[in-house]
Amino acid sequence: MNAAVVAVERVSKWYGQVIGLNDISAEVHPGVTGLLGPNGAGKSTLLKLIAGQLKPSKGSVRVFDESVWGNPGLFFRVGFCPEQDSFYDQMTGLEWVTALVRLNGFSESEATEAARLAMDSVDLLDAADKKIGAYSKGMRQRVKLAQAVVHGPDLLVLDEPLAGMDPVARRQVIKLIKRWGSSGKSVLVSSHILHEIESMTSTILLMNNGRILAEGDIAAIRDLIDEHPHKIRIRLSDPRAFARGFLDHVGLRSLCFEEGALVIETENPDAFYSRLTEVAASGALGDVQEVSSPDDNLQAVFEYLVK
Amino acid sequence: MSTPLTSNVPVVPSFFRSAVRVYELSLGRMLWSRRTLFMVLVVGGPVAVALVLRLLAALDLLSLTGGVDFVDSANQRVTIDGPGIFGLMVWGFYLRFSVPLLGVFYGTSLIADEIEDKTITYLFTRPLSRCAVLAGKYFAYLVSTGLVLLPSVMVVFFLVVSLLGGSIGAAFPSLVTDLALLAVGLAVYGALFMLIGTWFRRPLLTGLVFILGWEPIVAVVPGYLKRFTVSYYLEGLAPHAMPQDRAVTGILGVMQVSEVVPSVAASLIGLGLILVGGLSLSAWVVERREYVIEQ
Repeated sequence: MNAAVVAVERVSKWYGQVIGLNDISAEVHPGVTGLLGPNGAGKSTLLKLIAGQLKPSKGSVRVFDESVWGNPGLFFRVGFCPEQDSFYDQMTGLEWVTALVRLNGFSESEATEAARLAMDSVDLLDAADKKIGAYSKGMRQRVKLAQAVVHGPDLLVLDEPLAGMDPVARRQVIKLIKRWGSSGKSVLVSSHILHEIESMTSTILLMNNGRILAEGDIAAIRDLIDEHPHKIRIRLSDPRAFARGFLDHVGLRSLCFEEGALVIETENPDAFYSRLTEVAASGALGDVQEVSSPDDNLQAVFEYLVK
Repeated sequence: MSTPLTSNVPVVPSFFRSAVRVYELSLGRMLWSRRTLFMVLVVGGPVAVALVLRLLAALDLLSLTGGVDFVDSANQRVTIDGPGIFGLMVWGFYLRFSVPLLGVFYGTSLIADEIEDKTITYLFTRPLSRCAVLAGKYFAYLVSTGLVLLPSVMVVFFLVVSLLGGSIGAAFPSLVTDLALLAVGLAVYGALFMLIGTWFRRPLLTGLVFILGWEPIVAVVPGYLKRFTVSYYLEGLAPHAMPQDRAVTGILGVMQVSEVVPSVAASLIGLGLILVGGLSLSAWVVERREYVIEQ
């Protein structure tokens, strides 16, 4: 395995009486790593620690094997895209990104060229001369991303970069992030939405309540979803007939009737889904209109893991 | 879409170069802010007064020669002329009011605005020390406030000094001294309020309490407390910037300016300590402080 780009060792962070992070250790290696967790899990705190904006109350945070707090020289190699939607609104996107990269020591002409390339990389070149105040939410997210990548950092730390983006912009940014990861650079990207992270990487850190619950391959997390009792909601024409037909299902834990729907809890979702497909196709137990799984989301996994 | 430019081997910019870059970024924002419009109105007050005086003179309602009679605190009749009026305006309008106000409004906002606007992160995630950010912003403050204040003083000088038989040529050296004095005032108040801005949660309120509460109250209380004000030390320099006559002294007495004025040397040392202390402590605070920005 490659050397860790980011090494977080037994880090705790508290704000007065409130614990933000609780004794966490993790490593980030080259490529894209997803930081996944519900709101309030401690993702932003961890990213701010890695970006040197917060100092750990306990433990150490090292980036490229250097302590990050009070070490501005590291920001030649680190780009940070914060969560907050705040800008110098009266500047144009290009002016803003140029002014920021000038702080990296770029000359005026180098800065302008780098800023143009960065704006282009987030597909914002057409709007480069518009004031940021007139940007849509998605454009603001992208210009924030542009200032993070403008100096060509080796590590990108992105806090909820897809929030508020439209699907097209989202796809472009995901593509950009994947390209960065595949070029040998490191990207640490947070989200509270599983499928967003899944579309960017298979390597994740899963957080909840200031702790890292799991780290590694996203498939393992998916397996956890499949292993734990699974709720499936089926909207159909005759819930009672359907329930009777499934009473002999292996792994059935409970049945709950709702208006025009049935919620089944099963310990064997794979077997259930394959039988459901057969039954729906034959129409033997009535008309199956919609199948959804309220469990098939992160919150369910968190709840399962923290039990 | 293209790939962003990858920098060559990075060279850490010097402190001065970094500060200049921050200055360039901050100056425009500071100058073209609503705060500046407000301050232009504040420093426009003395200009308006000067214009009124000029108008009165033009209408022969104010004698153009010989000065104005005035009764001082010792009940003696004295005469004040154009340079005297200018000196009083510098003291009353600028040093005691506009300079502290500019210091409070701009100085406390140097870092506090970036925190409130949640934009400080963009500056603190660049390869430059936080001290350089602070220094660049402080330079921008000096230039902005200077550009707002000093032209107003010059306009007032040319409008007022020639009244009542005053001579612009003879009084010109005092204008230079006054401008220098006001620049010192801006620098010292700025350093002090920048410290307050980096330290306190409500810096503007704290600053206003200092200039509108603490300084005026302490100035009229006998004892040593006035040494904990900026105005006390500025006062030590101010008489040298104004005409030395009984009229000015008398009016300053009416305005309850401190009865004990420090020497020039003591004033310079006091102001120097506040300036260096304010800047150093601000740098110390900002280098160590975590700025928690919540979404």
